[in-house]
Amino acid sequence: MSSEILAVSTGLHALVYFVPVIFLSIVGFIILAIGTRNPDKTILSWITFFTLAAGGVLTYLFTPLGTSIFGGTLVFNSFGLYFALIMIISSMFICYPALKGLTAKSEIFYATLLFVTVGMILAAFSYNLITLFISFEAVSIGTYVLASFGKSRRNLEGTVKYFFTGTIATAFVLLGSSFFYLDTGTFNLSILAASKATPEISMALIFLIVGFGFKLAVFPMHQWAIDTYDGTENSVSAFLSAGSKVLAYVVILKVFLLGFSSDFRDVYYLFVILSVLTMTYGNISALSQNNLKRLLAYSSVAQAGYLILVLAVVSSTGNITSGVAGLAIASGMFYSLVYIFMKGGSFIALNSVNHESVELADVSGLARKSPALAVSFAILLLALAGIPLTGGFFAKYLLFLSLIEGGLWWLAVIAILNSAISVFYYFRVIMYMFGRDPVDGQEFDLTGSVKVPVYASASITVVLSLMILWFPAVINIASGLFG
Amino acid sequence: MLLIFLLTVIFSALSFAINGKRRIFAIVSSAIVLILTIAYSLFRFHGTYASGFQSAASYNLVPSIGITFSLGVSGFSDALLLLSAIVILISLLITEKNKFGNSLYSYILIAETGLYGILISRDFLFFYIFWEVVLIPVYFIIAQYGGKNKDSVSLKFFVYTHIGSVFLLLSIFTVYTFHYEATKIFTFEMSQLMVNRYISQIPVFWRYLAFFGFLLAFLVKMPSFPVHSWLPDTYDASPYPGTVILAGGLSLMGGYGLFGILMPVYSSLGSGILTILIYLGIISLLYFSLAAMMQQSLKRMMAYASAGAMGFVTLSFGAGLIETGYQATLELAGGMFQIVAHGLIMALVFASIYLIRQNTGHEAVHSLGGIFREAPMLSSFLLAGLLASLGLPGLAGFIGEFSILVGVFGAIGWLIIAVVFSMIITASYHIWAAQRSLYGPYNENLGQIHDVTGYQFAVLMGTLIVIFVLGIAPNLIYGMLVSYVGGII
Repeated sequence: MSSEILAVSTGLHALVYFVPVIFLSIVGFIILAIGTRNPDKTILSWITFFTLAAGGVLTYLFTPLGTSIFGGTLVFNSFGLYFALIMIISSMFICYPALKGLTAKSEIFYATLLFVTVGMILAAFSYNLITLFISFEAVSIGTYVLASFGKSRRNLEGTVKYFFTGTIATAFVLLGSSFFYLDTGTFNLSILAASKATPEISMALIFLIVGFGFKLAVFPMHQWAIDTYDGTENSVSAFLSAGSKVLAYVVILKVFLLGFSSDFRDVYYLFVILSVLTMTYGNISALSQNNLKRLLAYSSVAQAGYLILVLAVVSSTGNITSGVAGLAIASGMFYSLVYIFMKGGSFIALNSVNHESVELADVSGLARKSPALAVSFAILLLALAGIPLTGGFFAKYLLFLSLIEGGLWWLAVIAILNSAISVFYYFRVIMYMFGRDPVDGQEFDLTGSVKVPVYASASITVVLSLMILWFPAVINIASGLFG
Repeated sequence: MLLIFLLTVIFSALSFAINGKRRIFAIVSSAIVLILTIAYSLFRFHGTYASGFQSAASYNLVPSIGITFSLGVSGFSDALLLLSAIVILISLLITEKNKFGNSLYSYILIAETGLYGILISRDFLFFYIFWEVVLIPVYFIIAQYGGKNKDSVSLKFFVYTHIGSVFLLLSIFTVYTFHYEATKIFTFEMSQLMVNRYISQIPVFWRYLAFFGFLLAFLVKMPSFPVHSWLPDTYDASPYPGTVILAGGLSLMGGYGLFGILMPVYSSLGSGILTILIYLGIISLLYFSLAAMMQQSLKRMMAYASAGAMGFVTLSFGAGLIETGYQATLELAGGMFQIVAHGLIMALVFASIYLIRQNTGHEAVHSLGGIFREAPMLSSFLLAGLLASLGLPGLAGFIGEFSILVGVFGAIGWLIIAVVFSMIITASYHIWAAQRSLYGPYNENLGQIHDVTGYQFAVLMGTLIVIFVLGIAPNLIYGMLVSYVGGII
């Protein structure tokens, strides 16, 4: 934290920075209160949707860029703002489709969603391991609640798995933070925090990657994700694999790029190994899946592998302020923006199948029943595979470009081969949708709550490919990471 | 040219909105594109064309990371534009009413947009995007309308060519990055990147990595030995309109990659790579002609024949760049002419096999026989296509193969015997297939079959006339190819 932007303000005066957070929490409690009157769940979903939209606007308005408060604990910069807005959008995204799975107590679902979003906004602006931990934990606990919103015992199995492993991961984060403090004497994350690589900082590195990598579903901390995504409502899976993952990603970017800038050698090796294993494992496991939800879950593991390639590039340059590092971080940011739409949209598209545990054969003939939905879903899958004319292509494109610019051509080859492998299973889904006849008696749910979000995400994914024109702006935002 | 390209974009987008008469719409729109392209060629390339690019333009989109949309048309790409417009039109014309779903026509139009995009792009980013865009509609054509094993075959096709494409992307990044390091300018423009002076400065390892990626992507599309194994299955499983596009359109992409993208930097390629290409070409010729001889189905046989003909292209590229002077021009122009001729001939051949298949229900050589008696016109068209394909003088196929053969001797010496040998095999199985299926005693099991209708006659005749005209007056396009080569060497 360079001192000239430290417009330190403490006390009640700082309350003005928390307007969006306070607003969202208050509405959350109001929703809980309304819930005692058994309101229509559709109304609740709209209230939540517009509250989140207003929260997004407020976050934009009440973020004094370049200010930090509480001695650098919270830093308001465009980097955090970018991710805060992305995560708010991903919460907005599931308001409407979640209606399908809600049978009772819908107010708890929507209030929890708002509280989770509060945690996400705080995490986006936190530059301190303690506040990061608290907001991260707030999100985790909220998502345990969201994940348990289901109907059958099977759903609960996934949730319990998520809860137990999540709790252990929390302990790892705390332990890692303690080691970090032991070495640096501070919880604040800034480029100068750690002076040199010591045994303590290596311990902190390992514990923190286990703790935070758990949420991002990085191999080998991914196993919960498969069962949990499979076991929960489609819209919750969408949220877990989109919003909650982006949160983990922004935390990882901040912790490992700022906090461990003295130990980039170890960060580099760690993330190269993790990313190669994660993408390869995710893609290869997805190949043999016949369960569509598990297929998407494995693909989401693989995507996490691509995302953390960014850390490998940045740490390989050894200098976080270099041009290549800026490009890499910006490509990661762009990737996460596209990612919430393509991944969230594809999970929501599964809502069109009326029963749980969606098999590949269940979507066969979707193109006959609803061509528009099938085409939209296909666009999302093509984006995940990184085929041009979708935002997914440019996301991958910039990522691989930064790999080559960073001189990691062999890593780029591995990533590119992985992306070629992934085409197999994404196209298998497309093949079932377009090439097969519908199963007898199979009825698709083609109501608005299924169609509209999928259409929206597919068109946004395509429009985002034009976003490339504003990519330099993203690079500028990326440089905000440093404070 | 940009306007014509935008027109293809608009047509393919519009086609989704038209439900009732989408086939007619597709045919009319692709005919308009063809006519405009012909007019454009007459206007820009007739007589006055020396070399270089026409209608060159560049639009800066994101200057800070070098993203521009640049376009330009050389004599060579103009010839290919004409070819792709013709091939697309034929593939649309041979479809019958109500046989295929509406989406087929949209896919074909998207493929046309992609092909036009590839041929006019002069910057790597958009080149790559269109390169991939072509794959998607072709994939869907096979996956939705294909024959047996369409699922696995279409997937194999897509993944195979996609792997080629991602290596292309890797190569593009490599030259882009080194260009930035050398000049501190971010650019994807081919006119800046594909320059000998710059390419030869790239460290050896990276240079070969880049060339490897380019060549892999282009050779997969051609297809050349040893990256051809997607070919027979894909041609076989694809519906005939798709096969026409595969043979005419996709192999064109590979040829354009070699002659349009790599040729300007030929001196950096080094004789090592070029020699490898020569051998790959010869092996392709031999291997594919032997493989074609073993096929029972006319469609599979011609799939291999098509790949064999592209072996001439690889051979001429390698040999032409090693040699100098008159012979080099002869070979290179011959190779490019061969791409055009091959696309047209294969369109005719596959279109007539398609009609035979429609009328008799068979495409295997041994199930046919003597159909000349019942369908003389159709048989004659297939025979004409086959004769053109084996390189009969007077038809388009002869010009390319002849100029390559004449020129190549200096580069490969007595290895030319292998080339001639493969040409003999090619000729013999072509004649054998024609004899067995078209002439001889009539296979009565086929029952009553009918000849071409007036409409089909017109389509096939039109194609044949183009082939014939190019055979006796090759200078219509040969001239601009020679000028194009002259501008580079």
